[in-house]
Amino acid sequence: MSARPTEGNPLRAFASQVWGSIFRHGLPTTDKVAARTALTNFFLHIHPVRVKKSAIRVSYTLCLGGLSFFLFILLTISGLFLMFYYIPSVDQAYQNIKDLQFVATFGLVIRNLHRWAAHGMVITVWLHMARVFYQGAYKPPREFNWAIGTFLLLITLLLSFSGYLLPWDQLAVWAITVGTNMAKYAPIAGPYTRYLLLGGRNVGQGALIRFYVLHVVALPLIGFILMVIHFWRVRKDGFTGGL
Amino acid sequence: MATVVGGGGSGNAGGADDQSSVPIRQPVIARPPRPRRTGPELASTPLVVRRREEEETVVTFPSLVWKEFLAGLGAFIFLLVVSIQVNAPLLQRANTAITPNPAKAPWYFLGLQELLERFPPVMAGVAFPSFVIIFMILTPYLDRNPSRRPQDRKVAIALFTIYLCLAVSFVVIGVFFRGLAFNWDWTRILGHPGVKPPV
Ligand code: HEM
Repeated sequence: MSARPTEGNPLRAFASQVWGSIFRHGLPTTDKVAARTALTNFFLHIHPVRVKKSAIRVSYTLCLGGLSFFLFILLTISGLFLMFYYIPSVDQAYQNIKDLQFVATFGLVIRNLHRWAAHGMVITVWLHMARVFYQGAYKPPREFNWAIGTFLLLITLLLSFSGYLLPWDQLAVWAITVGTNMAKYAPIAGPYTRYLLLGGRNVGQGALIRFYVLHVVALPLIGFILMVIHFWRVRKDGFTGGL
Repeated sequence: MATVVGGGGSGNAGGADDQSSVPIRQPVIARPPRPRRTGPELASTPLVVRRREEEETVVTFPSLVWKEFLAGLGAFIFLLVVSIQVNAPLLQRANTAITPNPAKAPWYFLGLQELLERFPPVMAGVAFPSFVIIFMILTPYLDRNPSRRPQDRKVAIALFTIYLCLAVSFVVIGVFFRGLAFNWDWTRILGHPGVKPPV
């Protein structure tokens, strides 16, 4: 790529130097260039350079793991925007959501996007689990990745559940009341667990700030770390490919 | 796992006959020859990576990356359209004095709520979920059958399908067939017999 005739035009030479310093290789003209491009690009090196042809048929993975990850990224970005407006206080939270809906530019669409992507992610993660099971992709050597996947499923549910409380409307508070009442039934730890989760006996300010911190910091962080390990293992254990 | 065997890209004139005269480049299992692409860049032998299984592989960039990009774009457009059309619910401001009837958990926990309706709380709220999670983690260690072909895994597939059907039907029941006080209520979906549904 460096052999491009740029002499005589200092501007093009400069542009070419800048471009070349960022992207080490040009568009893939041969397999070898394509392989180098994938190896030297941070965002692409998550992939192996080559994969079995049968493994990337859309009909094989149905894109479900990838879509789950995509939704996670989308949720992170849209959630970041929501955070600019949202204050986790029982006095302000509801009004903040109203403002998002009616005042903030694109606030409504961003909120909707965040909500529907969250529901979508619960569905894609479930379906991804089902496809992994039906293809027996949990069998050795991938036993451990299946276990990590189980925790990812739980994290996904908890992320969605903790976010449910934040709008502080009737739907939110009572869904969380019903949900956390389930925790109460565990023999000894139950009531304590519920108290710990809610920071009190009822769903109030204590619960709101706890759910908020779980939702925007703790759970996404744990989820992200688990995903990184998950992807690493997909590569190291090899991808299953056709049956 | 993958071994690089070919050279190529260096622009040598060897080209196509290279493949047949140098033994190291012979595939272990004979495969139909790939259709040769022609063009100045591809005149030399392409880099060949062989896996032990001798399955045909492709470079991930750009073919896989392209597919992922399209899938992501499709998902994004779909969600954007939904988000423009359908608003996320927002009810009245929370009021701990007024309990909505029915009070329902988010849909993905309605299966659990359904169990709580039917079994003692310790069973439904604690024993069943813990069992499912632990059993799930242990699945790969309990399933000693090495085959991944559906024909050889009838029991596993049947069990998992039953589990999925149960989980899905409990959620569907919770969402559509549970009315006031979480009682069973056909009319939510089917309307009242003899009464035209309000449109
Ligand atoms: C946040 C949730 C999750 C994300 C983002 C995720 C992502 C991925 C991705 C991108 C792949 C590559 C193949 C594909 O796209 O299907 C994969 C493979 C895999 N996932 Fe997940 N996953 C998640 C949850 C789970 C769950 C819940 C399970 C099972 C309990 C699981 C088990 C596996 C296994 C065993 C593989 C290897 C499959 C193979 O080699 O064919 N993952 N995951």
